[in-house]
Amino acid sequence: MKKLTLTAALFLLSSCGNPQPGEPTAIKNPDTYTYLTISDLDSLDPAWSYDTASHLVIFNVYEPLLGYKGSSTEELVPVIASQVPSTTNGLISPDGLTYTFPIRPGVAFQDGTPLTPEDVKYSLMRFLLQDRAGGPSSLLLEPILGYSSTRDDRGRVMEKAFQEANSRLQVQGDNLVIEIPEPYAPLLSILATWAPSISKQWAISHGDWDGTESTWKEYNNPQKESSYLFEHMNGTGPFMLERWDKKNKEIVLLRNENYWQEPALLRRVMIKGVNEFTTRKLMLSAGDADTISVERSQLSQLRGIPGVAIIDDLPTITMSPVVFFTFHINPVGNPHIGSGKLDGKGVPPDFFSDVDVRKGFAYALDYEAFIQDVYQGKGTQATGCIPKTLPGHDPNAPHYNHDLKRAEEHFKQAWGGQVWEKGFHFTLTYNEGNTTRQTLCQILKVNVEKLNPRFKIDLRPVQWSTYLSASQKKMLPMFTLGWAADFPDAHNFVFPMLHSRGNYPAQQGYKNPEIDRLVEQAIAETDPGKRKELYSTILALAYQDVPHLVVLDTVDLRVQRDWVKGWYHNPVLPDSAGGGDFYPIYKEATEM
Amino acid sequence: MASYLIRRLAMLPFVALGVTLLLFALLQLLSPEMRASLYVKDPRQLSALESVIETYHLRDPFPVQYWTWLKQILVGDLGYSETARMPVAEAIKAFFPATFELALTAFVPTLLVGIWLGTKAAVYQDRPLDHFSRFIAITGYSLPSFVLGLLLLMIFYGRFNILPPGRFSLEADLFIHSANFTPFTGFLLLDSLLNGKLWIFWDALKHLILPAATLFYNSVALLTRITRSSMLEEIHKDYVRTARAKGVEESDVINKHARKNALIPVITSSSLLLVGLLGGVVITETIFNYPGIGRWGVNAAQQLDIAGIMGFALVSATLFVLGNLAADLLYAFVDPRVRLK
Repeated sequence: MKKLTLTAALFLLSSCGNPQPGEPTAIKNPDTYTYLTISDLDSLDPAWSYDTASHLVIFNVYEPLLGYKGSSTEELVPVIASQVPSTTNGLISPDGLTYTFPIRPGVAFQDGTPLTPEDVKYSLMRFLLQDRAGGPSSLLLEPILGYSSTRDDRGRVMEKAFQEANSRLQVQGDNLVIEIPEPYAPLLSILATWAPSISKQWAISHGDWDGTESTWKEYNNPQKESSYLFEHMNGTGPFMLERWDKKNKEIVLLRNENYWQEPALLRRVMIKGVNEFTTRKLMLSAGDADTISVERSQLSQLRGIPGVAIIDDLPTITMSPVVFFTFHINPVGNPHIGSGKLDGKGVPPDFFSDVDVRKGFAYALDYEAFIQDVYQGKGTQATGCIPKTLPGHDPNAPHYNHDLKRAEEHFKQAWGGQVWEKGFHFTLTYNEGNTTRQTLCQILKVNVEKLNPRFKIDLRPVQWSTYLSASQKKMLPMFTLGWAADFPDAHNFVFPMLHSRGNYPAQQGYKNPEIDRLVEQAIAETDPGKRKELYSTILALAYQDVPHLVVLDTVDLRVQRDWVKGWYHNPVLPDSAGGGDFYPIYKEATEM
Repeated sequence: MASYLIRRLAMLPFVALGVTLLLFALLQLLSPEMRASLYVKDPRQLSALESVIETYHLRDPFPVQYWTWLKQILVGDLGYSETARMPVAEAIKAFFPATFELALTAFVPTLLVGIWLGTKAAVYQDRPLDHFSRFIAITGYSLPSFVLGLLLLMIFYGRFNILPPGRFSLEADLFIHSANFTPFTGFLLLDSLLNGKLWIFWDALKHLILPAATLFYNSVALLTRITRSSMLEEIHKDYVRTARAKGVEESDVINKHARKNALIPVITSSSLLLVGLLGGVVITETIFNYPGIGRWGVNAAQQLDIAGIMGFALVSATLFVLGNLAADLLYAFVDPRVRLK
C-alpha cells in the first residue's frame, strides 16, 4: 500500500504542471512581453547612447525619420518623414546633395505636444553637436558636415560646427531639408535608425541645450548623467518609458495609446537583467519570460523544453567577439595594470603600442578551438573586420592563425626583449554574464600563459554600463566587445573599428593616418569595384597593425516561447534576436 | 542588569570607531584616485576626480583624511556606488529591506526547529529522532546552497511552476510601482499589510519560501548540533539528577532546568548566524535573482566599486557589532553570573 501511495504521489508530481497534448498552453501575462538579458542600460539619451542594450529601448520609444521595411536591410519606409526621399520623387536633388523630408503631420509626443519640423531639426542638431567622445554623432557628422568630430585633434571645439550644421539643416515650410557637401550613399540608411526626434520644448524646459549658437559648446561632449534625457523619455513611438528601476535592473515600457499609428499589440514590455543563466532558463520554461538572451554554448540546455522555440541561423551584420588593445592606457587609479611598469608585476600604459606584443597575442589565440568548442562549428574564422554579409568583405584577406611558435618569436622581440625576460601581469576584462566572451578570454589566457611562466593574465567580468565607461576612459588594457551594424555598409565597420575618430580607435588611442585616408576615400568612392579594392587594402594594413583581434563570422539565434507572434528579424535593428522592434509583437496560444 | 547594560552600550561607540578606523586604514592601500569615489555625491563628479581628491584632502596625512571621511559618514554620506548606480546610502536603503525579510523568514524557523530538534536529539540520544537530526545535520552541511537552491528551484519552479525566483511576480511588480501602493518602509511584507493588500503579501511570501528554505536547511544543521551537544552536557550534570531525584516533572527538568543552561553557546552561534544572514547571502540571492544586499556587495567587489565595497563592509561591521551586543545582553538574561561580573 505504501509503495502504491508513493508511486501515485510521484505520478501526480511528475504530471502536474505539464500541459497535455492537444491542450493549448495557458499564456502567462498575455499582454506583457518579458525579455531577460544580461546587460543593463547605459543611457536613454538618443544622442549619447551607442550600445545595443540602450538603443533597443530608444528605438521603441523615439522614432527616426525613416525605418526599414520588415526584414529588409535595403528597402526603407517613411516614419516621421511622410515619404522616403529618392531622385524619382524629386526629394533628392539630381546631384545627390539635397535631401527633402516632408514631415508627417498629426504626430505628437507622448506628453501631447505636436511634433514639428523644428523639433526634427533640433534633434538632428543636438545629435550632431552633442558629439560625446566615442558616441554615435560621427554617424551623421561625416555625411552632413564632412568631418567626423566637432573637436580638432587637440580636443578643442570647432566654432564653425554650429553654423555649418545650422545652414545644412533647414526647415522649409513642413519640410526638413538636409544639404550635404558630398554624395553619401548610406545617409538614408543611417536616418532609418539614428537621430530620432525629441521634443525641443520639452528638452529645453528640462535644462537641455536651448538650440542657440551661444550655448552649444557647453553641451558638447557632456557627461553621461548630466542630461535630463539620461533617464527620462518623451518620444513619438509606440511605447513610453514607464519605469527604469536601476536597483532591480529592469526597464518597463508601456503602450502609447495615442500613437499616430494603431497602438501596439502589447500593453507592456519588460526588459530585465538576470545574469544567472539557470534562472533565465527556468523563467523561460515556466513562461515568466518570453525570450531570454542565450549564448550558443548554452543552447543544448534549452532543447526539448515544451513550449520553447529555438530560431537559429539568423543572418547577422555583426563582428563579435573582438579583442581590443588599448594603446595608451589611463594609469590614474587603474587597478587593471598592476605596478604600471614592465617589471613582471604589471604593464606600462603604452604596453600594447608595440606591434610585437599585439602580434604575440594574435598568434597565441586559438581561433579554431573557440569556433569549434563555443560555436560548435557554427561559423568561420573572420578575415578582417567586415562581416561576410556585406559588400567589401574579403574572404582572402590575410588573418592570423593559432601558432604558438610565432607568438613566442614576437613576444621575444617585444620591447627589446624585456617582455620575454621580465614578463607581465594585467587584467583582461569582458562584460558580465557573457559566457562566450568569457570563454574567449580564458582560451587566450591559457595559451599566452603557456608560453612563459612570467606571463600572467587575470580575468574579470565587468557590469555592462561600468564596462562601457571604463573602456571609454581607457582604463581597460585589453577588452572584449563587438560591433553590430548601425547601417548595412562596410564603412560602418571600418570606421568604428579602424579610423582614428571611430568608436574603438578613439578609446584605444590607435591611429594610422594611411588607414584614415583610405577609409575616407572608400566612403566617397561610388564605383563598387574600386571600393572593394580600397577595403581590401585597408584590411591588409589592419592585419599589419593588429589594433584588435577579430575572431569569427557567425549567425545569430533566438530562443522564445512559442506563443510569441509577430516578431521579425532584421540584423540592422538593435538586439534584433532579443527584441528589435516590439511594435508588431503579440502573444497567442499555440495548439500543442 | 541596568549597569551591565549601560556598560555594554557605552562600549558600543568605541567599538564602532575601531571598526571604521580599521576599514579606513585598509583603504589607504589604494591610490587616492581609487578612493575618490567614496566622496562622490553625484555621478557627474566621477569624471572630475582630481577636484574630489583636493576637496577631501585625499593626499593629506591619515588623521586629516580619516576625520574628513568620518564627518561624512556620520551624516550618512557614503559616496556613490557605480554598480548600484546610486549613492551608497540609497543603495543600502534599497537593498537591505529585501535581505532583512529573507533573513528573518529563514532565521525564525531555524531557531525554533534547531533548538527543538537539538533538545529532542539529546534527550532521545541514539534513538530514531537523534539519527534523523544527524541526517539533517550531515545533509545540511554537505549540500552547498548553490546545489540545494538550484535543486529546489528546478523542482518547485521548473517542474511545478510554483514558488518562482525574484522578489515578486509581474502583477505585483506593476502594482507596487503604481500610485495605488505606498512604500511606507521598503519592507514588502510589511508594506503590503499596511496597504491592505494581502495578495501582495502572499506573492512576496511565495517568493521568499525557496530562498528561505535553502538558508534554513543550511543553518538548522549547525544550530541542531550545537543545541544537542550542549544539552547532552547539561543533562548529565548533577543538578539535573538532583531535580529528577526530587521528583520534578521530566518536561520541566529538560525545558526549565537543562535547556536554559544549554542555551548559552546556542545564543552565540545564533546571533552570528543572524548577522551572517542579514549581511547578505550572496549565493542564495544570486541563484534566486533576489535583489538583496549580498548580491549588491559581491557585485561591488567584482567590479572594484570601492564606495560600494566600503558601504557593504560598514553595514556588515555594524551588524556584527549589534549582533554581538544582542548576544551579550541575552547572556545576561539567561545567566545571572554574567551580569554580576
